[in-house]
Amino acid sequence: MCFYRNGVSVLVYWVYVLTRRVVKVKQSMLIVYIASAFLIIIGLFVGGSNLVFEGLKISLNTAIKSAIMLLASFVIIGQLNVLLTSDLIKKWLERFEGIKAIIVSAIAGGLFPGGPYIYYPFIMSFKDKNLPSYILISFIFGKQVYDFSRLPMESSFMGIDITLMRNIITLPIPIVVGILAKRFLKSVDIYNLNLKAGEKIGSNNNYP
Amino acid sequence: MKKLVQTTIILSVVAIILIIINKRKNGKHVEGLDKGLKQFMQTAPMIIGAFILAGIIEVLIPEEFVQNWLSTEAGLRGVFLGTLGGVILAMGPYAFYPIAASILASGAGLATTISMITAWCLLGLLKMPFETAFLGVRFFSMKFVLSIPFSLIAGLIALILENTIL
Repeated sequence: MCFYRNGVSVLVYWVYVLTRRVVKVKQSMLIVYIASAFLIIIGLFVGGSNLVFEGLKISLNTAIKSAIMLLASFVIIGQLNVLLTSDLIKKWLERFEGIKAIIVSAIAGGLFPGGPYIYYPFIMSFKDKNLPSYILISFIFGKQVYDFSRLPMESSFMGIDITLMRNIITLPIPIVVGILAKRFLKSVDIYNLNLKAGEKIGSNNNYP
Repeated sequence: MKKLVQTTIILSVVAIILIIINKRKNGKHVEGLDKGLKQFMQTAPMIIGAFILAGIIEVLIPEEFVQNWLSTEAGLRGVFLGTLGGVILAMGPYAFYPIAASILASGAGLATTISMITAWCLLGLLKMPFETAFLGVRFFSMKFVLSIPFSLIAGLIALILENTIL
């Protein structure tokens, strides 16, 4: 009976995970295609079919030109995925303190593979390891500003010079934010900011 | 075209180096290739859609608008508009970069482009559901407000560089 119940829960969980993935992919894809259709209609009104064809020609040219680059980008993304595991990154984070921890955490954030549905659950595990809030903050900013797995895509489309310049300009952001958090957020428990008024850590809030 | 070839060569070399590292370190290079290919197949429809959108944007943006609001001459207006664009473009990198590239190709300045990418990284609304779910609305609001100056500063630095060195 217990085995049956566990099997059903596992099945329900996987159906949920798969449905969410499918719906998510379709949602963002839907936005892009709806926006394209909307702009094509505007293009037809503004400049007629010639303007739309000109736009589609540009799209085709860009797609052909960047095909090999895109393929190389995805090879890099796949290789980074198997090279950098979450266990390895967690080990780095536990080893340092203070400013060193901020820098390592920002870089680790940049190296951490996967989208927000992977790294947000990962950073919640910092709480169990008692890692300070500033590490979490510099990790989040490092992930969002550096994200090394995004570099191939960025350099493919924007060019290496703009990618390089953008990264040099934004390089200090996660470290500066980490330092600010270390200095000013000492008393703030970031991990429990989402608790409702009156709710305590570990409580189910059934009593006042 | 030269830039494109350069970028392709650099990316291909990096890809080969990573394959060699993985082969020697953990022997998982084939798994990596498989993962990369799978991700490519999954995102291909999205990339095609983004290419279509980017091409249409490129021909639709009026030259006058680019000159007044997005080009180097737009100055601070370009930085503000770029930041706003980065916030609004709530989409993943596969859709965002082709669109950002089309805005750049239509004549947007370096400052506008850099503030747009920085704002998309820090303020992009795509991350909002995850941030609010895991860390709460207060954390999201705090991070959002604190990130605005950083996007603007990045744009300003790019603007100074654009007008002085480049």
